[in-house]
Amino acid sequence: MIDIQNVNKTFRTPDKREVKALVDFSTFIHKGEVVVIIGPSGSGKSTLLRCLNRLEEIDSGEIIIEGVNIYDKRVNINKIREEIGMVFQLFNLFPHKTVLENITLAQQVVRKRSREEAREIARGLLHKVGILEKEKVYPAQLSGGQQQRVAIARALAMRPKIMMFDEATSALDPEMIGEVLDVMKTLAREGMTMVVVTHEMGFAREVSDRVIFMDEGQIVEEGTAEHFFTNPVHERTKLFLSQIL
Amino acid sequence: MNFNKRSLITLGMLAIIAAIAYYFFTEKGITYIWHWERIPEMLFYYGPKSADDPMPRLRMGVLMIGFMLTLKISLSSIFFGIIIGTIVGIARLSHEPVTRRLAHAYVELIRNTPLLVQIYIIYFFVGSMLRLSAFAAGTAALSIFAGAYVGEIVRAGIQSIHKGQMEAARSLGMTYAHAMRHVILPQAFKRIIPPLAGQFISLIKDSSLVSVIALADLMFQGQQAVARTYYAFEVYFTVAFLYLVMTFTLSMATQYLEMRLAISD
Repeated sequence: MIDIQNVNKTFRTPDKREVKALVDFSTFIHKGEVVVIIGPSGSGKSTLLRCLNRLEEIDSGEIIIEGVNIYDKRVNINKIREEIGMVFQLFNLFPHKTVLENITLAQQVVRKRSREEAREIARGLLHKVGILEKEKVYPAQLSGGQQQRVAIARALAMRPKIMMFDEATSALDPEMIGEVLDVMKTLAREGMTMVVVTHEMGFAREVSDRVIFMDEGQIVEEGTAEHFFTNPVHERTKLFLSQIL
Repeated sequence: MNFNKRSLITLGMLAIIAAIAYYFFTEKGITYIWHWERIPEMLFYYGPKSADDPMPRLRMGVLMIGFMLTLKISLSSIFFGIIIGTIVGIARLSHEPVTRRLAHAYVELIRNTPLLVQIYIIYFFVGSMLRLSAFAAGTAALSIFAGAYVGEIVRAGIQSIHKGQMEAARSLGMTYAHAMRHVILPQAFKRIIPPLAGQFISLIKDSSLVSVIALADLMFQGQQAVARTYYAFEVYFTVAFLYLVMTFTLSMATQYLEMRLAISD
């Protein structure tokens, strides 16, 4: 479903230093697979996600999603993005719109759904993430966990084929992490293809098919969550796991 | 301290200042015979206009006619200023170097030359080429002038919106234009209301400069009235007051708008 081939991405810092975010990165993600990406900060995890929907441009390599090379000049990237939901660390809800409007906006503008249809879908999703009663309030009046659940509903409203989570629980107070992870677990069990950058190893163990440990823009080690818990091979992996577990 | 008490103190201070001014006028040897009674007819009068229009009825006096023209030219310039400014503000942030530099050049050119000179150039040079009326030339000059300042305000407003907002909108499949229209600009405009209000208050006052191209605005009518009657104090006080009415109304309106838009905070 997602074929990532020899992707390189280098950032230039303001003082002209080059930072390699992805180095000859390759992997394949199957339909329905839940892939968890872990790694220290600056290892290229977020960059990888952001390259998958072209929020960042890659320097070389190929990313092919459902047979379409998304870096092809003839590709309309907006069409690709409709199919890839993204959830951000800082939620990025639209603060000037109510919860319901946050979820209906792109449906109406991008998917060209009628207002009624968009609202119906939005309400269904709000019910699913458990905050139907908050549809009329503004994001600022919600807790972090509630905001993130709205953000998930907003992404799901596009009926995406793939969902990406960029440290979706890292900015949350500890007591709110669970409610967001529960929504993510439900999605995983429903068969959604998911690429999840997270440090929540509990989530990885419960629903992931594969865990990728990244460092310095490359895959250091990959395998099932169980593999990482029981017998990680690389010293770098062991060190990292000992720090987060 | 409640609101009414504060208003009373403010009014009291103003009264004291007025009393001091009056004292200096009357007791310090400045003898001036006030003719305030001539002012009302410059605002409204009842009677015939001319031989062609002899019907006696309530009509606007010269200052009121000037007031209406100033209002009209200010509102049109604010309208076009917002449009130009929004385009320029977005263009200043374009990834296209040509667009970006053109917008920058426009802003620098307009901000660094006097409005009075711009009005003359647009009226005498551009205006005579395109056969613009004085009103059109005046509105164009003020709109172009305001557009440069508004452009910078809009640019700052857009830049103040967290980049995650654009990313969230784009990741939902929205085009750049859709994201700007539905997500970025509404938030940016809310944030830039205070500096915009300041800019438009300046614009209303700057509009008095169009009197130099014989546009019969409030300032022009005031000057004419003074030339006719020599009641400089009364007329200019009244003119100042009428400008104050416009700017203060705008000021109040924007504060109300700010309050209304604050509900999502």
